[in-house]
Amino acid sequence: MNMAWKEIVKNKVRFLILGSIIFLVSLLTFIISGLANGLSQDNASLIKDLPNGTFYMAEEVNNSFPLSRIDKPLLKEITEEHPEAVAFSIQMGFIHDESDQQQSIAFVAATDSSLFKQVNPGEIILDRSLTEKEIKIGDKLTNSQFAGTWGVKRFVDQKKYSHAPVAYISLEDYEAIYQTNTMQLVFIPGDDISQEYAGLHSFSKNDFLKSLPSYSAEQTSLNMIVWFLIVISGMLFAIFFYMMNVQKIDMYGILKAIGVKTSTLFQMMWTQMLVITCIALAISVMCSQLFAVLAPEGMPFHLTLSSVGKLAIIFVVIGLIGATLSGLQIKRIEPLQAIQQGGK
Amino acid sequence: MGLLVLEDVRKTFHNGELEEEILKGISLSLQPGEVTALVGASGSGKSTLLTIAAGLQSTSEGVVQFNGENLSAMKPEQVRKLRASQFGFVFQFAHLVPFLTVEEQLLVMLDVAEFKLRKAEKKEKVHQLLQLIDMGHRKHAYPSVLSGGEKQRVAIARAIIHEPKVLFADEPTASLDSKKSKEVMALIHDLTKRLNISTLMVTHDEEMLVYTDRFIRMMDGKIV
Repeated sequence: MNMAWKEIVKNKVRFLILGSIIFLVSLLTFIISGLANGLSQDNASLIKDLPNGTFYMAEEVNNSFPLSRIDKPLLKEITEEHPEAVAFSIQMGFIHDESDQQQSIAFVAATDSSLFKQVNPGEIILDRSLTEKEIKIGDKLTNSQFAGTWGVKRFVDQKKYSHAPVAYISLEDYEAIYQTNTMQLVFIPGDDISQEYAGLHSFSKNDFLKSLPSYSAEQTSLNMIVWFLIVISGMLFAIFFYMMNVQKIDMYGILKAIGVKTSTLFQMMWTQMLVITCIALAISVMCSQLFAVLAPEGMPFHLTLSSVGKLAIIFVVIGLIGATLSGLQIKRIEPLQAIQQGGK
Repeated sequence: MGLLVLEDVRKTFHNGELEEEILKGISLSLQPGEVTALVGASGSGKSTLLTIAAGLQSTSEGVVQFNGENLSAMKPEQVRKLRASQFGFVFQFAHLVPFLTVEEQLLVMLDVAEFKLRKAEKKEKVHQLLQLIDMGHRKHAYPSVLSGGEKQRVAIARAIIHEPKVLFADEPTASLDSKKSKEVMALIHDLTKRLNISTLMVTHDEEMLVYTDRFIRMMDGKIV
């Protein structure tokens, strides 16, 4: 007979309260996680969407890639060794649309590679978010530092850098604006690239993301909130089951006296914890996915089922640990004590 | 030789440097179908003796044998299994599980004792026992709606549903009024005879001794 379920049914309100708290905490965690992911995408999807590989920037710039310049002879050496290598630059800037509205963008220019969109001089490829600013294919865009105009060739999905939409331009146009034909960075795709070059500092993708201004600060603070919420949920379980167990010490003592195994009492507590958590998490996952659909336009919210699934598993594990820690008192209960103390 | 035999059982408690001998060489033997009562003043050691006989605490010296097996030599898990399958317990308070109905309290005990019956058979067994103790009409009731006497009847049913060989009852009537105490004692006496159980009971109420087959008077840790 499932005593755990019987207790839940008999004490609906008590377990409903715990379930509601777990639901609210997990929903808040999912939403903040969605915001963290959304902001991360908004800040660096251009980099995050690249495959795993190694980034190189000039050593003397102290991890600040906008100041980096890759010497042409060195770039030639790298591309000869690694034909798949790509050199690219990112510069924050702005464009004027046909109605002379100024839009902040991140200009990206790259050597020939399938990893970056390639355009001819006078053409521009934009992140799709600019369609919300009523920019259309074929529109002519200008920039005060650029003598010519760009025709909008097409739009691409989710290509952002530093919370600005990316604008792919040709190397020639990049040189015309910034008066330089040297690139800031080199990227070599592949997991097993460990080569070092004199005068260049290498980064893995994660290390490079961490070196981006604001990225680490933004992600660290949001992830800290997520982890705090997870720990709080674990503590909630520990406190709830501790209180429940304290109330049931006499009953547990008597059950032990009549021969119930301690492991059976633990299983009862774990079953209750799993039932409550799974129901609360299932509702929470549904609500978070609904929130993802209903979130206001422009809100950087990105929550995949896989990241929700991972968080849900962490919630279950933390809940299990919390409940088990509080349940250690069950192990210590002496049947004799319960018998001698009397009860209801 | 009895079903449960205690030979020269001693129990000493240590409190810092103080040493107090609660039981001073008790020997007794329980026979099937017999209600044995331990009587005596508070502190005479009768409850300690009962809990030692039931395997709930160990002896300092001496031997407790059930069916020829020494309880002191058993591992804790073996003692637990023995308590679950061969012993039944009734306490001063009923100690029923608050979220289980009367029927479920008894079904749980059958599960604890690992009683090999199908679900329907278990239910039938529970039904028959509840009829026997005149609680059939309350099988779907929760403990919170039962009277003190009814709760204790259910506790007795829980203690014997798995057909134990020995029933231990620690002051089973202490929380009941005189009328209900007599009813409960009559029930324990009746079930001991019907089911051929050995019952060891602690009581301070000598009026209840009429429901026992023999009584053992204790004083200062010794049988007098």
